Amino acid sequence: MSKGAEADIYRTRWFGNNAVSKVRVKKPYRQKLLDYEIRKNRTLREATMLSIAKEIGVRTPFVYFVDPISAEIVMEFIEGKNLKEDMNESLALEMGRCTGLLHTNNIIHNDLTTSNFIKAANNQLVLLDFGLSFLSGRLEDKAVDIRLVKEVFFSSYVSICDLAFPKFLLGYSSVIGQKTMRATLKKVLEIELRGRYSRIA
Amino acid sequence: MLCLGIESTAHTFAASIIKYTFTESSLKNINLRNLRNSYARILSDSRDVYFPPKGSGIHPRIASRHHAEVSADILKQCIKEAGLSIRDIDIIAYSAGPGLGPCLRVGAVISRMLASFYKKPIVPVNHALGHVELGMMLTCADDPLVLLVSGGHTMILAFSQKRWRVFGETLDITIGNLLDQFGRANGFSSPCGDQIERLSSRSSGTYIRLPYTVKGNDVSFSGLLSAAKRLAEKRMREGMHFAEVCYSLQETAFAMMTETIERAISFTGKKEVLVVGGVAANKRLREMLENACERHSSKLFISPNKFAGDNGCQIAWVGIIDFLFREKEIKIEKSFVHQSWRVDTIDVNWRAT
Repeated sequence: MSKGAEADIYRTRWFGNNAVSKVRVKKPYRQKLLDYEIRKNRTLREATMLSIAKEIGVRTPFVYFVDPISAEIVMEFIEGKNLKEDMNESLALEMGRCTGLLHTNNIIHNDLTTSNFIKAANNQLVLLDFGLSFLSGRLEDKAVDIRLVKEVFFSSYVSICDLAFPKFLLGYSSVIGQKTMRATLKKVLEIELRGRYSRIA
Repeated sequence: MLCLGIESTAHTFAASIIKYTFTESSLKNINLRNLRNSYARILSDSRDVYFPPKGSGIHPRIASRHHAEVSADILKQCIKEAGLSIRDIDIIAYSAGPGLGPCLRVGAVISRMLASFYKKPIVPVNHALGHVELGMMLTCADDPLVLLVSGGHTMILAFSQKRWRVFGETLDITIGNLLDQFGRANGFSSPCGDQIERLSSRSSGTYIRLPYTVKGNDVSFSGLLSAAKRLAEKRMREGMHFAEVCYSLQETAFAMMTETIERAISFTGKKEVLVVGGVAANKRLREMLENACERHSSKLFISPNKFAGDNGCQIAWVGIIDFLFREKEIKIEKSFVHQSWRVDTIDVNWRAT
């Protein structure tokens, strides 16, 4: 069906259901051992986290089958459009709400780009691609997540980012609370200042 | 039109003259396409690099003293090589940041002096923008994703809406820092990338686990650096050769870089990748990037080795285009240096969309 950055996606059937198979392909450029471990760990991580996220109320595809050795996950096929192609302010709010839910439950997604959301029926967002995710209560990790969202908004949605990013934060704070959001944003700034040449004088 | 570019951001003091020839048509319709194709010529390119003593990094003050000492000779050599006199020059461009303050000031002072004495317009140039635009000019890439990897930068950029926007970057140290600091801890003299590459190509190819940190489109190298240093120390203590550590360090760091590039390609859908900056000279990194680009059927452009590292041409070239597309000249008293001048804060007038 498509070729992502790290995996190939195929449409298939699984016991009568529409399904997709996500195979983390071998990367010939990567050292063999490193490649094997990355693919195996991410597959397991993703399968686990997809289920955990569902428990706390973030919609994710159902996992049907996992094979860590060949790094393959078969999961539910979600009808809808990729958020990357169809982004607007109200969806930014929804995206913020999703992120807030994850963070109140100490789930760090670690790859919160718009291409990892699917807009399903009724503008409901379905979150994908938990390969880099992990559990952590550290503010730092949550802030790294938010920083990525900020980076994506300000590089790819330049025309709407001035309105959309505050909307995202509004959605985020509606779940996680004003106080925590402010603390997170402060941390985001701190992380940005750690980066290269960012002391904006 | 002749532009003298003076580069002095870190360890390199360089000067270069680029000649841009107007034609009837390009005079009427200045756009970047006819600017970069065949009308720009590099007339001279002189540099002198400050090498810090073994095991230590660049000391900003000592580097700036080196720059001040070699500056007269480099300028003389640059003008002589081009077969010109300083009076023939039309524009003076200098690197105004980002970089080491004392070093930047040397270049800026020299440029202001030349500009005021010979009454020439002065153009402050962003060093990172220089890397990117020179790479674009030399490789004739059209609309690429740019990977800027050097001692000062580790960034993935793409042009959109008047600016080079950041699609991914390092959250802490750069890939050049990583290689240099690791090398220096083991007694190499910086820049160490070359020596690490040579050592790892001689290793047995045994991979030792090191932290691999990709966060979305961003990377982080500080944990990898600490782990690699510790590992090298342990190996030294046990009297084992540490080529394997170099090998594992390179494999891990470059795989991280290549993965983020892959992520950025699939996110932006760009069909070209351009690699610029000092680390672009590394063969292993090139090999990995070639492989990744092949998978996404993107074309890979790599800045020629000679112009991958810091040089004067990048400053002279941006000096020319910036001057041509600039509405107002910058007064000498307004010419600045800025140690932390991010490339994504600059409005680029000369590119469409």
